[in-house]
Amino acid sequence: MPAEFLPGDAPQRGALSFEEQDFIDRLIASHQGQPGMLLSLLEEIQERQPHKYLPADYLEYLAARTGIPGAQIYSVATFYALFNLKPQGDHTICICRGTACHTRGSRDLLERMKLQLGLVPEEDDGSADKLSMTTPDRRFTLRTVACFGQCALAPVVEVDHAIHGHVNERALDREVDALRKGGA
Amino acid sequence: MPRITDLSSFNEAREAGLAKLLPPTPRIAIGMGTCGTGNGAEAVLQSFSDAINQRGLSIALARTGCFGFCAAEPLVNVWLPGKPLVILQRVQPNDTAAILDDLTAGRIPAGLALCRIDEWDHITGHVKYGSGFPEIPLWNEIPFFKGQKKIVLRNCGLIDPTDIEEFLAVGGYQALYKALIDANPASIVESIKAAKLRGRGGAGFQTGSKWEFLSKAKADRKYLICNADEGDPGAYMNRNEIESDPHSLIEGMIIGGYVTGASHGIVYVRAEYPLAVHRLETAIHQAEEWGLLGDNILGRGFNFRLQLIEGAGAFVCGEETALIRSLEGKAGRPTPRPPYPADSGLFGQPTNINNVETWYNVAPIVVKGPAWFTETGSPKSPGTKVFSLVGKVVNTGLVEMPLGTPLKTFVYDVGGGTANDRAVKAVQTGGPSGGCIPQEMFDTPVDYETLAQLGSIMGSGGMVVMDEDNCMVDVARYFIEFTHSESCGKCIPCRVGLDKSLHYLNRITQGKGTEADLATLDELGRMIRDTSLCGLGQTAPNPVLTTMRHFRHEFEDHIRASRCRAGVCEDLALSPCENSCPLHMNIPRFLQLLKEDRLEDAFVSVVMDNPLPASTGRVCQHPCDDRCRRSGIDSAVNMREVHRHIADSIYPSPRFPDLVARLSALRKPSTGLRCAVVGAGPTGLACAFYLRMLGHDVMVYDSNPNAGGMLRYALPDYRLPKEVLDREVELIKLIGVDFTFNTRVPADISLNELDQRYNAVFLAIGTWKENWVYLPGTELTGVIPALPFLESVSKRETVPLGKRVIVIGGGNAAIDSARTALRLGSGVTILYRRERKDMPAIPEETEAAEAEGAKIAFLASPHRIVGSPDGRVTAIEAVKTRLGEYDSSGRRRPIPTDEIVRFNCDTVILAVGETVDIDFAKASGLKISDRGLIEVDRYSLETSRSKFYAGGDLITGASNVSGAMGLGKKAARNIDKRLTGLKRWRDLFPKFEYDQAAPAHPSDSRRHHVRELEAEDRARTFSEATVGLTSVEAMEESCRCLRCDVRTGDH
Ligand code: FES
Repeated sequence: MPAEFLPGDAPQRGALSFEEQDFIDRLIASHQGQPGMLLSLLEEIQERQPHKYLPADYLEYLAARTGIPGAQIYSVATFYALFNLKPQGDHTICICRGTACHTRGSRDLLERMKLQLGLVPEEDDGSADKLSMTTPDRRFTLRTVACFGQCALAPVVEVDHAIHGHVNERALDREVDALRKGGA
Repeated sequence: MPRITDLSSFNEAREAGLAKLLPPTPRIAIGMGTCGTGNGAEAVLQSFSDAINQRGLSIALARTGCFGFCAAEPLVNVWLPGKPLVILQRVQPNDTAAILDDLTAGRIPAGLALCRIDEWDHITGHVKYGSGFPEIPLWNEIPFFKGQKKIVLRNCGLIDPTDIEEFLAVGGYQALYKALIDANPASIVESIKAAKLRGRGGAGFQTGSKWEFLSKAKADRKYLICNADEGDPGAYMNRNEIESDPHSLIEGMIIGGYVTGASHGIVYVRAEYPLAVHRLETAIHQAEEWGLLGDNILGRGFNFRLQLIEGAGAFVCGEETALIRSLEGKAGRPTPRPPYPADSGLFGQPTNINNVETWYNVAPIVVKGPAWFTETGSPKSPGTKVFSLVGKVVNTGLVEMPLGTPLKTFVYDVGGGTANDRAVKAVQTGGPSGGCIPQEMFDTPVDYETLAQLGSIMGSGGMVVMDEDNCMVDVARYFIEFTHSESCGKCIPCRVGLDKSLHYLNRITQGKGTEADLATLDELGRMIRDTSLCGLGQTAPNPVLTTMRHFRHEFEDHIRASRCRAGVCEDLALSPCENSCPLHMNIPRFLQLLKEDRLEDAFVSVVMDNPLPASTGRVCQHPCDDRCRRSGIDSAVNMREVHRHIADSIYPSPRFPDLVARLSALRKPSTGLRCAVVGAGPTGLACAFYLRMLGHDVMVYDSNPNAGGMLRYALPDYRLPKEVLDREVELIKLIGVDFTFNTRVPADISLNELDQRYNAVFLAIGTWKENWVYLPGTELTGVIPALPFLESVSKRETVPLGKRVIVIGGGNAAIDSARTALRLGSGVTILYRRERKDMPAIPEETEAAEAEGAKIAFLASPHRIVGSPDGRVTAIEAVKTRLGEYDSSGRRRPIPTDEIVRFNCDTVILAVGETVDIDFAKASGLKISDRGLIEVDRYSLETSRSKFYAGGDLITGASNVSGAMGLGKKAARNIDKRLTGLKRWRDLFPKFEYDQAAPAHPSDSRRHHVRELEAEDRARTFSEATVGLTSVEAMEESCRCLRCDVRTGDH
């Protein structure tokens, strides 16, 4: 568990603005007692962040207000692929590693992108195919997904939420170049 | 907002919906599923709406879901009052103007029509569109839809998924209405049981029994859950079902709630499906407003709430207990059963979970009854199943088929086979829990039991077609990698076992595996399967166990020969081109050397890899072209022509002697060991070259007076001029290979004599016996086999050839014969019994033959040859064939029709394939295989007789030049290893220093082709038909290489 994540009974001093506290309070109220509450809360908190992640102070506040133990929240936040504990890049390139895309060469696309963005996997644990990596300047995040459900268009890559089908290396290069030039 | 409370308000809403589906004006509806939008449907919609507004047309514009044919998206439905609904395919924004022109004139846009629908059975309702347009095929007449039966997908792509009235119009909520009016929940449970509806998510449990458990459970609150966390990569039917027809899911769940006494429903949808989430939310909202969901449904006093939860990306949540934990706000880790969810599920309350598709079958069974349902499908597995047919097929999409349909129907009939000419290898069903079924077993009916017998499962219905370019070891590794990272880690067999399995599979794909690893993998797999806590672990080994069972030879290739034939396992190949080359030429190296302007080095590199670079540079089938990564950008690098260019620049030049000296200097010191090579064709020459370079004394025997075999005696001069071959043979002689010509084995020298005189013998006799077709008239004068014909011509003998020649066959020998006959002044027609794409000949050669004036009659199977009273050929009759079922080669079998065509002719050349004459082998202690060829060890090429090796056509049957040479090369390596007991092979090859950087950007130049002489000019002469690349062109080709051999650190 990262050091900065210390669930306590009360929110940390000044950790969260009143506005944000209010947002979470209202969120909790609307989901209170329903199945899937924690998942929904975390999804909405993450979605609210410009860098699509779950900041520790939000989680602490959430724990305090719902009474759900911090350890359980952390367990859920790390269990599901959708949640990020680190800020994501300005642009996200998501490469499908589903079966249909794999048989149509998505691994080459992934390798190509790592090269293009200068990303080196932290450690090779044999499962380098499932990943989420962000460039040091936080401009790009490269991640993989199990399947977009667009298998007929394989290989599929999602660039900032736009789905691209039948992608080849050159097309992908061009997309990334365009994002680079487009500033922010 | 109208609340439906009785029949009349129900009917009112239906009428309103029907008026939208069949308005008094033309209607255009655009397929706006995710596949549609991914293919540009948004732009099409925009363009229609702009144009309609601009022109002020009265045309109804709507959006609909997806009709399933994803490969043909964007699909657009157009309807003119009184006429059938017509589905247009691949509609682009710039088509819209013309479509509107046509529709306003009462016409259907001709080129875009895919199919028509006169009337549609929505199962719970029926829509009659109209009649007309007989020229457009009915929907189930086109191959992709033929045999499909749309029960689950009954509404998909036909109604607007965001409009509840349209759903009502096609019979939606009818079943719910009936259920509530009849007020006999138990009878519905009985119906579901009688219909034998099995869960469509994986294991195939009886839905009716599950419902019965829940209905009997006593509790204040019971839950129904729809599992829409479609996590199986490669399957996407649930996404489409929800996107295109969300109300059917809702209706199924409300009925389920009513009959089991559950008051709360939850749909757990993958967050990766934003459109499905959005549509379902809309639908839930509408249903609530219309009084179909929530309190007092249809005024009958029944309450049911439905809530949508987005899953957060965990495959294991497909397991019901894990999904329940997830809904309880915990990590999705499964718990042991019992207790079963029906007793103690969500928050300890009785719970039932069914897959999306299961819910879609509920309303039809309620309305039509179980007897109707069991009419479809197989006795144990009634009904249909939706499959997502993806991977290497032309027609990808969602296919709803009766259970029990054979696999080959999916792959070939519906899927249309592979897009390129690669053979289909396997179908993967059931995703990470399933297995791979090999092409030989495509007769297998697809149902729960049969798939299980083959070690696979039906799962959620993913069907990924794989072809020769897919490596089965990699596929196994891929799935284990997936389940390994998705394992929740709770139980040890799954967590540790999959980790170990992955470790062994990684080793194998890196060429470091051993035979013992296979045994361990097998044992591990069984252990994981038998002892894991949940379905994820219990099925995770299936992909490994099935691939090891059905594709063991691929595992062995990786282990014993460090070879991945598909070229997927990167550690086992230098580059895709090298891996595809039967000679394993280091192609990136010679390209780079040429690029660095080091022609002589390039030549040494080329010759050391391939001792006949000029000849193969002209006649090789160039498998490298198909593998080149550059073809993903524009087209493949013309590698064959570059090595032809390199060879042609050296052989006839004054530099030749220097290079001979340089090669001789690479030769190993003499070992004093003696090798015999029988056959001076490409296989024998290759083997002799390497054995000599390794320092052995080599004698080559051949029955002909000169070396080259087929290259000299079967290939016409216009393809391979004799001088080119002569120079290559000269080089082989100059490095010290000896030849004895005009000597037959075993007639002139017996195998026993060879055995006595030599330390090793390599048999490389080519294919010299022409297959004979047995048809009436082959005894007539004027019927000649292709190989002797080509041989006579190349020996400059006079061949009596008529003015009108018919060639039978579709291989290279047929095309060579045809082009040769043209050059001898005859008119030529080729008869081939299949289609053009099935021809084994090199396509460029076929095109060249046609350009030179040869005609080809496809789908024509010779039936008899007609002769004159004096016994001369006068004509040939052929039966026209049509294409029937797919055979085991994945090609459609030609079936004779009644139509007979007659071609007048005076010569018939038979080129229907060659066989090897192995009579000599029979009495010599050499084992013959079932295929009538000499049996060898696949890896060492040793025959059953000690010291004797065999290669080329003798062991493979007729093959191509480079393939045969590759075997000669491999034999030399193994013979040397055996003779010296050392692994010296790698040391033989010189090292080159050259740039090791991939180009930052692909070069701009396009592929250069050889120049062909004008067809008219070349057809009159035997001089070479093509002119090789110029130096500049060859250089530019070299620069096009992407240097796949250069690895970045983390490979
Ligand atoms: S496998 Fe890539 S979208 Fe499904």
